[in-house]
Amino acid sequence: MSDAPLDPVIHAQARLRVTAALSTLGSGDRITFPRLQEILGMTAGNLSVHLRKLEDAGYVEITKTHRGRTPVTLVALTPRGRVAFEEYTAAVRALLQPTDITEAT
Amino acid sequence: MHDRFTVDEEERPPAGPAETLRLIEEQRAAAMRQIRVDDRLWYWPWGFAWLIGFALLFLRYGPDGRVFVDLPEWLPVAVLVALLIAAGVVSAMTGTRAYGQLSGDSARRGAYYGWAWTVSFVAIAVILGKVTASLSHELAIMIWAATSVGLTGALHMAGGAIWLNRPLFQLGVWISVVNVAGVLAGPGWQSLINCVAGGGGMIVFGVVAARWKRRRGHERRAA
Repeated sequence: MSDAPLDPVIHAQARLRVTAALSTLGSGDRITFPRLQEILGMTAGNLSVHLRKLEDAGYVEITKTHRGRTPVTLVALTPRGRVAFEEYTAAVRALLQPTDITEAT
Repeated sequence: MHDRFTVDEEERPPAGPAETLRLIEEQRAAAMRQIRVDDRLWYWPWGFAWLIGFALLFLRYGPDGRVFVDLPEWLPVAVLVALLIAAGVVSAMTGTRAYGQLSGDSARRGAYYGWAWTVSFVAIAVILGKVTASLSHELAIMIWAATSVGLTGALHMAGGAIWLNRPLFQLGVWISVVNVAGVLAGPGWQSLINCVAGGGGMIVFGVVAARWKRRRGHERRAA
């Protein structure tokens, strides 16, 4: 298990936190940028940097739209991002719980 | 310089698998706490509105025309309506808080559901206002209560179907049963039944639903 490397896009504290927070949204839901920022307690610039990296990997989708006259930026985890997060979590869990004892001996 | 340090720090992987899992759990829990709304905020305003409003109705318009407490005739209905409107305002605010910063399926589901309540209650208010003008006071109270409580039960069952929320569906069934029991028991008793079983039921439900969601949250994380 340890020779399969963990997904480097998610395996950084800040992006792991972003992904974990976005994973609580229902599929098909988006959250406004300021609200996400508030939940994570990150600066706008910092969050943007990490969101761009996640977007480049195809894990996050960023939509710019308007609510009335105010521009709104909405953030969501893509299905691919959700799968990547689930696989990442499963891989980390597997590291913690060596399932096959015979293999270890 | 400082900024650069922070970014470097955040690029660093978490220290070991245990630390990673702890970070995920913490972040998910923090996000849930901020996005999700405590169920008591949904149900208690309505529960207390029914509890107090129907209690006053029972005390003023008891079974067989008895008057337990000689309140002004207009008071019980006025208090009930005022409390229901207040509960509606609290629900609208809660909904905005829950869904205002979200967009997409959940927000749309919440908005449609909110509108379903508003539209159907305005509709029955117009119809009943027209019909009950020609009925006795006793019968008018009975029909108003039975129709609104019945609609509330139906909308709760629909909510259970929309969100696949079992306790919400069960609450709808409970309210529907309470409603029929109240009508069968007759004028006066109906108010008492709506007060205790309906209003009290919703208050209890608020506590149960909050627990159910927490438990499901844990299960989903453990899965």
